[in-house]
Amino acid sequence: MGATVKTIERKGSSLIERLYLIEIFKGMATTFGHLWRNLADNRRLYVRHYPEVQPEIPVRWRGRHRLTTHPDNTVKCVACFMCQTNCPANCIMIEAGERLDGKAEKMPVKFNIDLLECIYCGYCVEACPVDAIRMDTGIFSVTGNKKESFVLGLEELLTTPGAFSEEEYKKGGA
Amino acid sequence: MSPLDYLMIAIRVAFSAFVPLCFVAVCVWMERRGAGYFQDRSGPNRAGIFGFRAAGLVQNLADGLKLAFKEDIISQHIKHKFFFVLAPVIVFFTAVVSFAVVPYADTLVLNGKSYMMQGIPVDLGILWFIALAGFSVYGIILAGWSSSNKYGILGSLRSAAQVISYEIPMGLAIVSLLIVYGTVSLNEMAQFQGKLLFGFIPMWGAVLQPVGMVIFIIAAFAECNRTPFDLAEGESEIVAGFHVEYSAMKFAIFFMGEYVAMFASSSIIVTLFFGGYQIPFLSTATLLNWAKPVAFLLMIALPVVMYFFAGWIRRSNVSHYPRENDPRVFEANVYIKCFWGLIVILELVLLAILFSPSGGAAASIFVALLQICTLLLKVTMMIFVFIWVRWTLPRFRYDQLQKLGWQMLLPLALLNIFITSAVVVALS
Repeated sequence: MGATVKTIERKGSSLIERLYLIEIFKGMATTFGHLWRNLADNRRLYVRHYPEVQPEIPVRWRGRHRLTTHPDNTVKCVACFMCQTNCPANCIMIEAGERLDGKAEKMPVKFNIDLLECIYCGYCVEACPVDAIRMDTGIFSVTGNKKESFVLGLEELLTTPGAFSEEEYKKGGA
Repeated sequence: MSPLDYLMIAIRVAFSAFVPLCFVAVCVWMERRGAGYFQDRSGPNRAGIFGFRAAGLVQNLADGLKLAFKEDIISQHIKHKFFFVLAPVIVFFTAVVSFAVVPYADTLVLNGKSYMMQGIPVDLGILWFIALAGFSVYGIILAGWSSSNKYGILGSLRSAAQVISYEIPMGLAIVSLLIVYGTVSLNEMAQFQGKLLFGFIPMWGAVLQPVGMVIFIIAAFAECNRTPFDLAEGESEIVAGFHVEYSAMKFAIFFMGEYVAMFASSSIIVTLFFGGYQIPFLSTATLLNWAKPVAFLLMIALPVVMYFFAGWIRRSNVSHYPRENDPRVFEANVYIKCFWGLIVILELVLLAILFSPSGGAAASIFVALLQICTLLLKVTMMIFVFIWVRWTLPRFRYDQLQKLGWQMLLPLALLNIFITSAVVVALS
């Protein structure tokens, strides 16, 4: 049961290689080939023309968070603190209050996510027992002028729509 | 002194002072866009004024403005503020001044008086360059020492060791060249290279001294602290090396000094080995006699070259994604019109030369201008080689660098001197 051993030939010991200059010229020929190819036709550059052309975001990609709602636009979250407990970056801060519409016993009064702390691991989505928090907004660049503007509140989390349809999201394996 | 003398002094000094500075912008642009194209990406191309990006040249302006308006910090722990400020000045000054002895055209004869076409009209030539190239390392040492920073001092130590060890092969390569040319004056060297070997090969230094050329170019890379010898900087080991503590315009002076040094070494390499301002097969005397046919040929060639260049601009300067009323097409049209305007002006100048009395001052000035263009073209190509090597080769390790300098280049340069002198003695 001998493992197949592949002996890799060590380069750099022959006289031509040790002269070094010839190998340098070979390398320079390679790089010049790239330069020439791109100068002649710059459509062939391996670049995406961001920000005019946006990248395609797949369904399972973890973007900015949002909170989902019931069909009658009431918050799904039951303030069970599962996500906050599970969060390795301690970026979720929930304050629970009593719920009076009969859907559950509790609901969040405050639900803050500090995006500067968040590491986008997706553990909150996995921990949620009622599918209330999702990362399917497709937002990948979050910008702001102040530190405070990176803390998302309940209102902002609820109003951000998902970027995908329900079927697509389910198919994505969530 | 006549008014013409004063004018010629002003023109020559202005040329050698401002051309290197203008080339900084070209070098940085070539470096960044070239780096992009070497690596199959596009490089900085978004900065623009009213949508005019000038193929990324506007980025230089933006960077320059940014550096000019940044806070100029001299941190508290720096004891010797004078030396701290002096260091970038030395680096920049020596780089600019070392270009002053490079002749950019053959001796110009106007009204029976001859003018040496170099910033400082002296015959010191290559000696001046060696002296100043050695002096520029003081700026780097001073920067590292006065910034009281371990990374700074390590970077400047490395740089000093490297420059000092590569100065010896460089000097020896020049010695073998001096044996061939028999002069230290760069102008005389360039005139020598206008001759033809066996009647059909231009007698360039590269043909007469191939080994000397290789040694000199390698040493010049080391002198400029360019890759593969850019040990003075190393992000993973010593952060930014000798200029860690520098910010804003003081850093910009270092940065520009590096590019001016690159320009100066390129022009020295070109003058020593690639014929300087000489157009191959057309020496100054031939050009003076044939000024009108050359002007006529240029008049035909310029629009043809421009036609293909315009096509290239039109193909390259478009948005490569669906876009309504693409503004870059408009931009490209403006550029093409500007270039055609330039060509029309050049054609008029050439036409004036065609109808000027033959053998007069117009022909001499035309030849001088042609030679200036030739030199600048050759220097640009040499700068391109610097950039090309930078984006091809990885950095040498410190011991490999010293080994290459002392154990390979030094004996090779000595051997080259012996062989050259033997051949020169045997032939004379």
